[in-house]
Amino acid sequence: MADQDEKLSYLLDDYPGENAAAELDELLDDVNLQYRARRYQMIAAVMRHELPQAIDTDFHNSVMARVRQQAADGQLSQSQDPATAERPSLLSWLTLKPFAGLAVAASVALVTVALWQPLQQESGQLDTGLVSADQQKVQQLAGQQIQGAAVPVSTQLQLPGTRWKVDREMPALQQKLNAYLVNHTEYSNSVQGLIPQARVAGFDSQQ
Amino acid sequence: MIRNSNPGGKLRFLPRILVPVLLTTLVSAPVFADPAMEWVQKMSHAMRNLNYRGNFVYMHENQLESMQIAHYRDAQGEKERLLSLNGEAREVIRDNQNLTCIWPSSRKVVIDLSRKNSFSPIFIPEDIARLEKFYNLKLLGMDRIAGQETMVVHIDPKDRYRYGMKFWINQDNGLMMKSSLIDETNREIEQVMFTSLRLFEDGETLVVDTLPKIDKNYSLIRYHRGENATSMTADSAWQLHNAPGGFWRESVLKRKIPGTDHVVQQMVYTDGLASLSVFIERSSSETHRGGTSMGAVNAFIRILNDHSVTAIGEVPAVTVKQVAESVSYQNQ
Repeated sequence: MADQDEKLSYLLDDYPGENAAAELDELLDDVNLQYRARRYQMIAAVMRHELPQAIDTDFHNSVMARVRQQAADGQLSQSQDPATAERPSLLSWLTLKPFAGLAVAASVALVTVALWQPLQQESGQLDTGLVSADQQKVQQLAGQQIQGAAVPVSTQLQLPGTRWKVDREMPALQQKLNAYLVNHTEYSNSVQGLIPQARVAGFDSQQ
Repeated sequence: MIRNSNPGGKLRFLPRILVPVLLTTLVSAPVFADPAMEWVQKMSHAMRNLNYRGNFVYMHENQLESMQIAHYRDAQGEKERLLSLNGEAREVIRDNQNLTCIWPSSRKVVIDLSRKNSFSPIFIPEDIARLEKFYNLKLLGMDRIAGQETMVVHIDPKDRYRYGMKFWINQDNGLMMKSSLIDETNREIEQVMFTSLRLFEDGETLVVDTLPKIDKNYSLIRYHRGENATSMTADSAWQLHNAPGGFWRESVLKRKIPGTDHVVQQMVYTDGLASLSVFIERSSSETHRGGTSMGAVNAFIRILNDHSVTAIGEVPAVTVKQVAESVSYQNQ
């Protein structure tokens, strides 16, 4: 294991050994090694203070949302005839889908470049022919999506707090009822131990 | 003292004198000697007066949250700090004057008036007698929570207007180690359980900064600015004519909602263990009427005389509905 780590470290730091090509092939075939390679890249970026504040691991979803929004905007500008209203959405889906895929690929490439560039700048003194071929493979490695998304540096999963059950979103009502509950908790004398306090502390900031 | 001139009849009067004394003793003895009630009293006293800190989990609506609490009492009164340990680091700090809620991630602060209140009332004998009409209190036995021995008390309601409760009370110091709220289907709807709890060491104090430094990154959502809740006279025309059995009005107050011109009247009802409030304010664009709930808390809203009447509390839905629908305005 330590030997493998050392080889990986040399590889990613642009100091490939004699069997660089074979080692790269092994890396590309082994998911566990890919995970570790990704971690090395992250650590290296942190040490060089080059990591962004937060890595959005859901980037592709936001791109797709934008695409859908654009499709919906396109729909609104069409005629009100329901028969024709249907067609644009199908058409836009067919035409936009490949662009959406391209946008996703572009976003992945962007992240790849952002992570890869610092490493490229520190290339060592190696045979250029071998380096360019190996770099293609390493680029391919860096560009691969790891199953289950990349390790986030700084993410905060926003879980919904306790909410009043109403038929539709009514933020004003939610806030009013919460204010009532806080006042009720303060001015009543019920025996429920810590439950009333825990309830208030459980509110999320949206309420 | 009844005098009897017949010396031979002196002994006959002794039982007559003793009977009322014995009857009084027998009537009052269960009220003071009920062991379950004694444990609840011990718990109430401990939660008010002891200085402690601990971590607990709060379970509600299939959600589990971890929190930390520190409670301290000194000559100035009680201080309490609650901190959420998962998700956003929400904090609730209370002292004699302020109830401060802080959400650091979103930089929001709410500062409301704090009432000199504890979450555990002390019961007087009259309260206890009233309680026993609507609840069965019994000891279930011993249990171990967070490595500490506890006595389990079950408070079982006699009707559908209130929830049941169970308390696991520390046998040494009387602190509550675990509590459950039980609905009418015998389901535990909310629970709190300490995973660690200790008393403050000698000389240890709780330092709480109740007013965080409000810098440009914080949004002050609401601040009471010292407005006294009792400065306005409550409107006595608002009455409740059909409260569920055992509920009486504990307090009524009227105050201005901070930051607005709106005035709200709050009437607090309790049966000694459970409580609910009725909030009455001018209705504007109120569109929601009827019942709603959040975990164990239920609310019911109706419109009356251009006012929204909201009954809210940790009681079953049927209770808030009956209370809200029983509110009337007696215009004299």
